[in-house]
Amino acid sequence: MTPDFLTVTIERGPDRQDRFEVPAYDNQTVLDVVSWVQQNADPTLSYRFACRVGMCGSCAMMVNGVPRWTCRTHISKVLDGNAVTIGPLRNLPVIKDLAVDMDPFFDKWVAAEGVHHGALTRDDPIAPIEAESAARVEANAAIECINCSVCYAACDTVAGNPDYLGPAALQRAWTLLNDVKDEGRTAILDAVSGTGGCHNCHSMGSCTAYCPNELDPMSAIAGLKRETAKSFFRRGR
Amino acid sequence: MALSDIDRHDTDILILGTGGAGLFAALHAQQSAPEGTKITIAVKGLIGKCGCTRMVQGGYNVALGGGDTVERHFMDTINGGKWLPNQDMAWRLCEQAVVRIRELENEIGCFFDRNPDGSLHQKAFAGQTADRTVHKGDLTGIEIINRLMEKVLASGVEKLQEHRAIGLIPTQDGSALAGVLMIDMRSGRFRLVRAKTVLMATGGGPTMYKYHTPSGDKTMDGLAMALRAGLPLRDMEMVQFHPTGLLAGDHTRMTGTVLEEGLRGAGGQLINHAGQRFMFDYDAEGERATRDLVSRGIYAEMRKNNDPEQEGVFISMGHLGPENVRRKFKGMVKRCADSGFDLAAGKVEVVPTAHYFMGGVVVDVDTRTAMEGLYVAGEDAGGAHGSNRLGGNGVANSTVYGGIAGDTMGADIRTMPGLRDPDEEVLAAELERAIHPLSRKPDLVQPLRKRLQDLMWEDVGVMRTEAGMKRGLEGIAEVSAALMDVGVAGDTLAFNLTWHDWLNVRSLCDISEVITKAGIARENSRGAHFREDFPDPGAMEDSDFTVARLKDSAVNVTREPVQFTIVRPGETVLPEGAPETLVAVP
Repeated sequence: MTPDFLTVTIERGPDRQDRFEVPAYDNQTVLDVVSWVQQNADPTLSYRFACRVGMCGSCAMMVNGVPRWTCRTHISKVLDGNAVTIGPLRNLPVIKDLAVDMDPFFDKWVAAEGVHHGALTRDDPIAPIEAESAARVEANAAIECINCSVCYAACDTVAGNPDYLGPAALQRAWTLLNDVKDEGRTAILDAVSGTGGCHNCHSMGSCTAYCPNELDPMSAIAGLKRETAKSFFRRGR
Repeated sequence: MALSDIDRHDTDILILGTGGAGLFAALHAQQSAPEGTKITIAVKGLIGKCGCTRMVQGGYNVALGGGDTVERHFMDTINGGKWLPNQDMAWRLCEQAVVRIRELENEIGCFFDRNPDGSLHQKAFAGQTADRTVHKGDLTGIEIINRLMEKVLASGVEKLQEHRAIGLIPTQDGSALAGVLMIDMRSGRFRLVRAKTVLMATGGGPTMYKYHTPSGDKTMDGLAMALRAGLPLRDMEMVQFHPTGLLAGDHTRMTGTVLEEGLRGAGGQLINHAGQRFMFDYDAEGERATRDLVSRGIYAEMRKNNDPEQEGVFISMGHLGPENVRRKFKGMVKRCADSGFDLAAGKVEVVPTAHYFMGGVVVDVDTRTAMEGLYVAGEDAGGAHGSNRLGGNGVANSTVYGGIAGDTMGADIRTMPGLRDPDEEVLAAELERAIHPLSRKPDLVQPLRKRLQDLMWEDVGVMRTEAGMKRGLEGIAEVSAALMDVGVAGDTLAFNLTWHDWLNVRSLCDISEVITKAGIARENSRGAHFREDFPDPGAMEDSDFTVARLKDSAVNVTREPVQFTIVRPGETVLPEGAPETLVAVP
């Protein structure tokens, strides 16, 4: 049964927690709760969202200490009694209240060579590709990542080592490594084997456990570890 | 707040928006502009994350052989737009889509679904006469925008994220654009960015309706700026409603979001309050009819029922086998489940929902506008779709014309001597307009947005009458006036969402008035615009389109005849004897 009111605690910086009584409804997401507070109780509350449906990855926050998409999390799933605590996403600088600066996350995405390295141009025909080939299946596994940063917030290695590229960027690198259209193999392997690279990962698996899209960055990183090791030995010979 | 508080910033090419149009423009500008050209991309949210390209489900229309041709794609676009499209724009869209899809696969790195032989898989949406829509499952937009976003992030262009454009600032003689006034939303500071060329690609988005699909950041800011700058806007009455938006209550942002087209295509049934299928009462195609027809069918049933407790109708998939539905529509079933609904076995309540805006700034085929230095592409530009956009032509349009805008700006900039000085009076007026609420007594903004959304839905929505729209105009004027008395606490302007809510409602009121006046001016029913008092489409050969502009601070709507530059009504550019459709009958 849904209670009449929810007790919502919002973390607004290291020394400030504000508590709000929010009316409860049958269909209500964590984002709806945050929006209600800003629209009705405290107009100064800052947060970020865009698509409302789990496609853009703009609205992730810590909900009872766990990173989640707020737009797709029904409040009933996270209520502790009738209470919930909402804070800004971990491992990223806070701009204000619940809005974080995602630039470090995307800078690492680019640093991991998470961008297509193509040889063909718009004047060439589109290459026929067998969708069921092993490499393509591996590349497809993570293609629907929406870069929401939930895995990055869940990762203790990121928390302990600010240089670590993190699960999403490394997973993107692994996708490209398996993409037969991509010509950036050397650049990618160099990028992911450096000081902030894949070998920092301790395989604790929070990334895979918390990915709202049910992707598996931990296995992707394991793949990178294998490939970088092979490449190291090959070069060493 | 004074003019001296505005930061001044210069660039060469400024791009507003980071959907398909903005991102392609940035990449093409980089390729075509002279070396050393500074390119800046500014966006109301985060790069590639806000806006609607990312939300594209269906796919990308492009004629790639197998019997399909650019001519056939063009004829479908003209027929779908009920002969209102600018034919040269529609032609260029269809022709360049062929190049752009190769660019997306080969240069940007997108991977679209394949046939068993490795070639691109294509499917047909309602209104198409060939299997033409390239797609990545039902999450095509994510693949396109993620790959584009990476390219732009790695390109080195200057980024101004969470920078909201609030005013186009012309030169003192009004002959050209000098720059754009923005709010750096993170700090709350004003910033004037001067540029030799500016692309406006902020992406329409009819969110002034009670039920709407676009992302939360979209509030017609671009078109409101263009209107104030005196630019002509065409087809402004043309609002596309998607038939099946989720209905989950007023208090949730889930309401209005799209349940995909493919559900009906696969055999999904629409059920009214009495538990009966009804779409065959309205069209022989039943649930598989085009978006406009199904939207009107649902709306008519809702009106018949007229029960505020049970407003919508239901979509039901269970008869297809819940397991089958779960497998085939995995993403959609999961999304509904996350929100507490069982799409696979149960019924989900739906309403028509405002989806896409066909109207926009009048542009030429190279995206140039009537104002030197200003270019417009994507949903902000009018003309390519006429009165109705085909599913799959939206992302094709934004990526094709975004690329063209980048090329055109890169070329035009070579003959532009330098940056232009802004008209300081216009700048002061735009600043004043934005800070207006900060000196008034704070009150809630959201109830006014809700009032606007309710009245637009009731009076200027799926079915329209002159009396209803006149009532709508009065309502808009009331909300608009009430908004000017609502203040926003201005103690801190950094990431002050309530201030931006106020500015959002300001833009929405301004454009709602234009939609309504254009709707009153069109006394026939074409595509998305349906007049109960004028249900006939009118003679195709006498087609005209509406043009709205601000004149002496009033919205003035005129009509201009459609130029049939490529094909006349009743004729076709397809060869003699070409089959009516290449799509196999299901």
